[in-house]
Amino acid sequence: MKFQTIQYYFHEVFVSMVRKRWMTFASIGTVAVSLFVLGVFLILIMNMTKMASSLESQVQISAYLVDGLTPENRAEVERMTRSLSTVAKVEYVTKEQALITLQERLGDQKKILDALGESNPLPNYFLVTVKKASDVRRTAAAIADLYGVEEVKYGQDVAANLFDLAHLIRVFGFILMLVLALATIFIISNTIRLTVFARRKEIAIMKYVGATDEFIRWPFVLEGMVLGFIGGSLSAIVLSSFYSAMSAKIYKTLAFFPLIEQTPFMIYLTFALIISGMAVGILGSTVSLKKFLEV
Amino acid sequence: MIIYEKVSRSVDLRKFDGKRESGSFDIDYDKFILAGGKLIHLKNVTKIYEQNGVVALDDVTIDINAGEFVFLVGTSGSGKSTLMKLLMHEEIATSGEIFVDGRDVVRLSRKEVPYLRRSLGVIFQDHRLLEDKTVYENIAFAMQVIEAPNKTIKHSVEGVLDIVGLRDKAKSFPSQLSGGEQQRVAIARAIVNKPQIVIADEPTGNLDPNTSREIMDIFKRINDAGTTIIMATHDKDIVNRMQRRVIAIENGKIIRDQLRGRYAGGR
Repeated sequence: MKFQTIQYYFHEVFVSMVRKRWMTFASIGTVAVSLFVLGVFLILIMNMTKMASSLESQVQISAYLVDGLTPENRAEVERMTRSLSTVAKVEYVTKEQALITLQERLGDQKKILDALGESNPLPNYFLVTVKKASDVRRTAAAIADLYGVEEVKYGQDVAANLFDLAHLIRVFGFILMLVLALATIFIISNTIRLTVFARRKEIAIMKYVGATDEFIRWPFVLEGMVLGFIGGSLSAIVLSSFYSAMSAKIYKTLAFFPLIEQTPFMIYLTFALIISGMAVGILGSTVSLKKFLEV
Repeated sequence: MIIYEKVSRSVDLRKFDGKRESGSFDIDYDKFILAGGKLIHLKNVTKIYEQNGVVALDDVTIDINAGEFVFLVGTSGSGKSTLMKLLMHEEIATSGEIFVDGRDVVRLSRKEVPYLRRSLGVIFQDHRLLEDKTVYENIAFAMQVIEAPNKTIKHSVEGVLDIVGLRDKAKSFPSQLSGGEQQRVAIARAIVNKPQIVIADEPTGNLDPNTSREIMDIFKRINDAGTTIIMATHDKDIVNRMQRRVIAIENGKIIRDQLRGRYAGGR
């Protein structure tokens, strides 16, 4: 392809986009909004998956004891737990220690604990580490049956819920994305169709003087690509600033929350959004051209 | 006379840089022989429109040599326009053979159609100029879209503006021109890519007799320079005055083909 021809294409695309600026604006907006929603879902799903896996890999069980349990009974629980073949380590945590740990975790916001006054609602508990992650469920069930154990909690429980939720969001997000993608393709193909319609005389003359189909098609495909590119970039910019603002806020208030690091993640996401935008743009223009170029 | 020299120069140019334009002037010699050495060769061509079953052309055989000036005459719906569309591959013959400039038009692949059209310059009754482009831009557009090099565009466009006598109107828009001037621009656009053949469909249809005569003078000059011209017309006056080959079509059949013909038969 000649440089002169490429110049011609870009000139055509620019003129066409400026000439019907409202439609251009609407197309870019649609692409941007659709891809923004896609981005939000991707971020949600990926973060939840990460959180669930990190929770799942924890092999610790918290066995909360009944309030006011006698030291003898407590010693019995500890002895029985240690006797289980799957248990690696048993650690006793008093309610006072638990409160201190909680205060440390809350950091700046530990003041909310002042509302408790002198009382401490946290229970005493055993922190049980198992040898293998696969034994967690069985071990937890065995400990839960011991006298004096009120409740048993372990990561898998929460992880399973998170995985379920992530799956649900994934399915829902996928359907939503499909609908949005179709809508975007529809809007872009309409925008391109308007260009084709406005240029039908030019296209007819081009055909009569012997322009090749590729030569006629390229500016329209390029226009779709440009619309998609701008839309994708816009959504990526907005999403990136949202994510960085949100993770800054989360790190400040909920430091233990395992968010995905911004730097490689948002760059990948930006690329993904821009490429999806361009793909949708190309698809949209191809759909509208199919009907019109058969002269 | 000066104008005539310009035309012949442009024709000579075609011979020299024929290879340049993506093989548009490369003639397939086997097909050229198949066409009986004729520039345009139609044999037993029939065209039936599928949508309504109308027989537009019925067993038509025509040979046209390079450099001829041919009038197609006949009433509306006689099949003149269909014949032109078949030559341009805008419609495809139902049966028969069509060769144009060494190309087998009936079996032409989609990819080859643009190159066939580069050897045909087309002019319509309604000019079909782009209103938002100047005269110069309208003509240059025909070269741009076949990716002619920028540096030859200026030279060629100025050359054809001289041929049609509109150099001083290069910067005007079509709406600022008279009907005759607009048709001149259309002619300039049709010949700017130096086609072998010019096809004109009622080019004087909307023009007064004087203007028509001026337009015909331009066509005559183009033909004198070696370009083959096929013109469909209703204009008796023009046909009778020019004394060129006349092919009369009626109900899809050729009813007359005279070398020095008149609009109506006889005499």
